[in-house]
Parts: sequence; structure tokens; C-alpha cells
Amino acid sequence: MDKGEKDKYELENRNENSINYQAPVMSSDWQFGGANLTTAGMSLVPSGNPLAIGSSCASASVADSFGSNLWEHPSNSQNLGFCGINVQNGASSSNAMGIGKSTLTSLRSGVDRPFDMGWNAASSMLKGGFFLPNTTGILPQSLSQFPADSAFIERAARFSSFNGGTFSDMVIPFGMPESMGLYTGGMGLMRGPEDMFAANGMKSVSGVESQKIKLNVTEATRDACLQVENRAKKSPGNDRRNGSLLRANEEAKQGIGGSGNESDEAEFSGHDGGQDEPSSLDGAGGEPSAKGLSLKKRKRSLQDAEIDQAKGGQPSTEAAKDGAENQQKGDQKQTTSVNKTTGKQLSPASHPPKEEYIHVRARRGQATNSHSLAERVRREKISERMKFLQDIVPGCSKVTGKAVMLDEIINYVQSLQRQVEFLSMKLATVNPRLDFNIEGLLAKDIIQSRAGPSSTLGFSPDLSVGYPSLHPSQPGLFQAALPVTGSNTGVIHRSLSSQFTSLTGGLKESNQLSNPWEDELHNVVQMNYGTSAPSDDLNVNGPQPSGNT
Amino acid sequence: MCPHTSLKQQFLKKWIMGLQRCSFSKKNMSILERKKTIKLSADIAMASARNGTTRWSRALISNASKDGSDNRLVQQILGPDSNTPAATTTNKAGTRRASVCKKIVKRSHQIRRRRRKCVAAAPVKAVTSSISEHLVRKRRQVLKTLIPGGEFMDEICLIEETLDYITSLRVQVDVMRSVASACFSQS
Repeated sequence: MDKGEKDKYELENRNENSINYQAPVMSSDWQFGGANLTTAGMSLVPSGNPLAIGSSCASASVADSFGSNLWEHPSNSQNLGFCGINVQNGASSSNAMGIGKSTLTSLRSGVDRPFDMGWNAASSMLKGGFFLPNTTGILPQSLSQFPADSAFIERAARFSSFNGGTFSDMVIPFGMPESMGLYTGGMGLMRGPEDMFAANGMKSVSGVESQKIKLNVTEATRDACLQVENRAKKSPGNDRRNGSLLRANEEAKQGIGGSGNESDEAEFSGHDGGQDEPSSLDGAGGEPSAKGLSLKKRKRSLQDAEIDQAKGGQPSTEAAKDGAENQQKGDQKQTTSVNKTTGKQLSPASHPPKEEYIHVRARRGQATNSHSLAERVRREKISERMKFLQDIVPGCSKVTGKAVMLDEIINYVQSLQRQVEFLSMKLATVNPRLDFNIEGLLAKDIIQSRAGPSSTLGFSPDLSVGYPSLHPSQPGLFQAALPVTGSNTGVIHRSLSSQFTSLTGGLKESNQLSNPWEDELHNVVQMNYGTSAPSDDLNVNGPQPSGNT
Repeated sequence: MCPHTSLKQQFLKKWIMGLQRCSFSKKNMSILERKKTIKLSADIAMASARNGTTRWSRALISNASKDGSDNRLVQQILGPDSNTPAATTTNKAGTRRASVCKKIVKRSHQIRRRRRKCVAAAPVKAVTSSISEHLVRKRRQVLKTLIPGGEFMDEICLIEETLDYITSLRVQVDVMRSVASACFSQS
């Protein structure tokens, strides 16, 4: 699904790119790369690989689908830059690792297609100091993510000069893999990969708005970064977190937006693009600008997620569900979401049975290995169900915390069980005519169950007056049973009376009752029992004959 | 409880059926026996109302049918639903073995997890978290004993089953209370 969606995106982008970006191949590449990256990011959690890997996978798939060397190269380089995942360009990925040196060559080695002119130009620019010029999609977005790094800022400036700032984004992301280690320790570098992924996702929207998209992505990633920033910085888990966060952002966006319209993305990207560029350039401020970018990128990723949703029917529903769940769980979390499509597309080769994979974003300061993530998913499932229990168990709404709530639940279940025992004991003491009583009370109980105990009890004394034909031995019971007014109850009574007649006990009363009951049914005043659906009666009567026989 | 009316009717029907079947044969039961019969028939009716969709209902029926004296009653009540008792018996047998294995595995996992947590986490954090976890685990154990067939369920399943069990218990209590009040209001 993901692959298909990506293809769709790519096709659309390709068309747009061909139209709009004859020269600026980078932008189109970015879009594709972005798409790849986003998908790659999405699948990060399942594979447990760093974001780069995911992006590389995505870009590789995208590149192939497009069949354009430009795209492939950027995607390859992107992938390579981040991690050598078993992407189609696996060979190139290894080269990409050392992209810092000669991006062009590394890309070329991985890709069979010839470079486009535009790409060459871009690559030459990148040679100045950027790692992966090919990862156009990724770079632009990631660029905005590394404002703190002065070097990145310089590169961003260089890129912007190259292609309206889009390249800068493109390049920086590639440099991230190397600098990631530096940044992750110091600041929320995680944004970088996130931004890249977000940018990739954005890129897939449209060529015209590649820049904007990239900005949006950066915003989105920035948001993700912000999240990360808020928590303790952990270098080891940064990569994974970035990927997972990115994914979470995207998925959250999916859930929220659900529009999946490219136009929406484009519009959004337009906004973000304008903001991102200046913010990226202002990265000198460091964190503040980065934060702004990440915010934008987060929006972007959301948009991307939406678009992805639109592309794939299944994922959208799932994402929407997850999105709703995410929203429920709190915006801070953005942790769990099911994204089949992204998972599939990201690592088709590495994890084929990943369709049911749940993409969880590792929170900041948390371990990001698959075990803890799965545990987190499980915990959230449990908390979700505990919420239902809170509604059911009285007095649990104000309680927070698992232990206390479990305590309340245990008490409630115990009390209910004790009530059942007590009532059964009470019924046992009624009289040896328990069976008769029960039959006689059936109608009353049915009435009661339909319209609450208060109303039925009120009726029974009134209606019991006019039934002299009833058996004298059980006046109360049958009188109580008689106030069956609705047709529904009549049907039930008829069925019950038929049941009674079939009893081996040979209840004369029941026989007598059946007739007066039916008579009474017509005569008794109709009572409004609220929702007394005839269907219920039919259902009730249905199994009865079989049971009685 | 409007949304539960159908469930109440179903339960009531089945309960009365069961009571009729068993009470007609034995008219000279002690009060305790009667109470036991009533409760059992009510429980079986409640469980059969679920048509084997929930685990607790299946476990309840299987537990009841394993006992010889109650088996007859169970068969009477579930007569028309022949598939249910068969399913429950097989499920019970399977779950027995599975439960034993699961218990062993769970215990080993718990021990391993405890050891891992104590070693990996910071000392202070481990203490506080382990205390809360211990509390929660304790309560979960208690809940498992309450819900029929709960010992073999994992956490997520346990909570779902608890939800369902609570709603059916409520229905049971409401119906029994109305029947009891009707009985005693007349006499």
C-alpha cells in the first residue's frame, strides 16, 4: 500500500516536476526524497533502524518508481546518508555513508540511471560541503532542523542560493548522519532526521511547492524536535526516536487532518515554506529557530500523513483511528499509531510481515528498542480499556492511577457477586412455589426490565384490581403479571404462557393464566415502556419454542 | 437500563427455563441447595446469553459442567445450544494445559523482568517503580481470581473480560432484584 501510494505521489510529483522543474531537479527530487524519507521514517520503528535507513528505503523505492536518475540519486544519497538499509540501492547506500566525500560518485554507483543536468549542478554545489546532494528531498527539510549548527547554517545558505533555499534543506540532512552524533548529544538533533522525513513527505505533494513543502516538513519535524527537546536528550536513541517521532507526527497529522489532499498540503507547505526558509537561515539562534522549524515540520509531516492517507484507503482509516486514538491519548504522546502503508513501504524487503506493525514513536528519554516500544503500545492499550472501565464502575472517574482503579474495580466486582449470592439466597427462601412465582413474575419482570422498576411497580397495584377471574391462590402474582399492556409484552406473555403449558409440572394456573393474560393484553391499559422494541420480543420468542421442545 | 433490556429479557428467559427444569424435579431441596441452584442457573443463563463470545462465559460454563451434579443442570439449560457445552469442554481442557504452561512461563518472565528491572534501572527509580508495579500486579492477581477463567488471560484481555463481566453481573443483579421484590411484594 505504501509503495502504491508512493507511486501515486511520485507520479503526480513527476508530472508536476516535469512541468515545473525542468531545471531545478532538486526540488522534484526533494519531493520524492521526502516521500521516501517519510515512509522510511515511518517504518523506522518496526525495523528498529535509524531514521536514515527508513528514509533510504523510501527514497529508493520512490526513485525506482520514478525511473528518473535524478530522483534516484537524491533518494539514494539520502538513504545512504542515513543508513544503509537494505534498499534497492543497497550498494549505493554503503557509498552514501561516505557521502561527505563525493556524493555524486556514490550516488552514481548506486544508481544505474544517468544523472540529469540539474542534478549535476546540484551535486556540484553540494560538493562544497554537503553530504548528500541527492537527498534533495531530505536535505531541505533537515536543513531547517539544524539551525543550531553554524556549519549547517552555512550550508543552508549555500543551498538556498542554489535553489531558493530548497537545496540547503536537502544538503543539511545528509550531513546529519555524521553530525547526528554530535548534535544528539548536545541538543535535539533528532529533529534533523525528522525534518528530513517530514520534508520528504512534503515533497511528494507537488513540485511547485517543493520549497514550501520542505518548509512545512521542517516545521513538522521541528515540532517533533520540540517534543524531543523537551525531554532528556539521549544520543543513542535519537535516531530511532527521530524516526519514530516523525512517524508519530505524520500519523498524528493523518489522524487529525485526514483530508489527504495534496492541495491542502500544498497550501500548508506554502505557509510553512515561507516560514521555514527564513527560520532556517536564522538558525544562528539555534534552538529557538530549530523549534520553529520543527513545529512547521510537524505540521508538514501531518500533512504528509494526510496525503498518504488519502492515497491509501486502508491506511487512512487506520491512521484516522490511530489519530483519533492519539488525540485521545493526548497530544503530547503522539506515540502510537498504526500505519500499515508506511510500514510496508518503508521496509518491504527487510520486514515483509510488517503489515500489522504498529508504529510507535519513542518518547524522549525512553529507550527505543522494539521491546520497550511494544510495551508502550501494550500499556496504552491497557490504559484505553481502563478508561472504559472508569465509565462503568461508579466512582472511578476521579481516580487516577492503575492501582487505585484496579482496587475500585475489584471492589465493585466483589460487591456485585455478593449481591447475586444474596439475592439468590433471598429467592431461595421465597417459597416452594418458586417456579410458579417466577412464571407469574415473568411478565412483571419483563415490564420492569423494560421501563425501570419504579414505573412497573406503580402500575401493578392499580391494574391488579380488575382481574377477578384470576386464580385466588395467586392473586398477587398474576395481577402483577397482568399489567402487560404493550403488544410486545403480550407476545412475550404468550410465549411464556406457551412455555408454561409445556412444563411437566402441569400448572393449571398457567393454563388459566394464558387465557386471561391474552384477554388482559387487549384490555390492559397500554403503558409506555420507553424502548420496548418488538424485535426484542421476536428474538425472545424465537429461541423459546426450541428450548421448550 | 434501556440498553440492557434485551439482555435482561434473554437472561430472565434462560434463567426461568433452567429453574423450571431443575426445580420441578426436586421439590424437597434444602434452602442452601435451592440457593445454589438458583445462583447456578442464573450464572449459566448469564453466561449462555453471551453465546460463547467472551472467555469468562466459556470458563464459567466449563467450570460448572465439569462438576457432575451441576452438569445435569447445565446440560438442561444449554440443551438447545449443543455447541456451547462442547466448545466449553474442549476449551476448558485446552485452557487447563495452556494455563499451566502459561503460568510457568509467566512466572519465569516475571522473575526475569524483575531481575532485569532491578539491575538496569536506577536504584531509587527501581524501588518506586517496582513498588507501584508490585501493587498493580497484586491487584491484577486478585482480579484474576474474581473473573471466571481470568487466570489464563493477559492484561488486555483481562480488562476487556472484566468490562463484560461487570455488565452481565449488573444485569443479573437487576433482574434478580426485581424478581425478588416482585415475589416478596406479593406475599
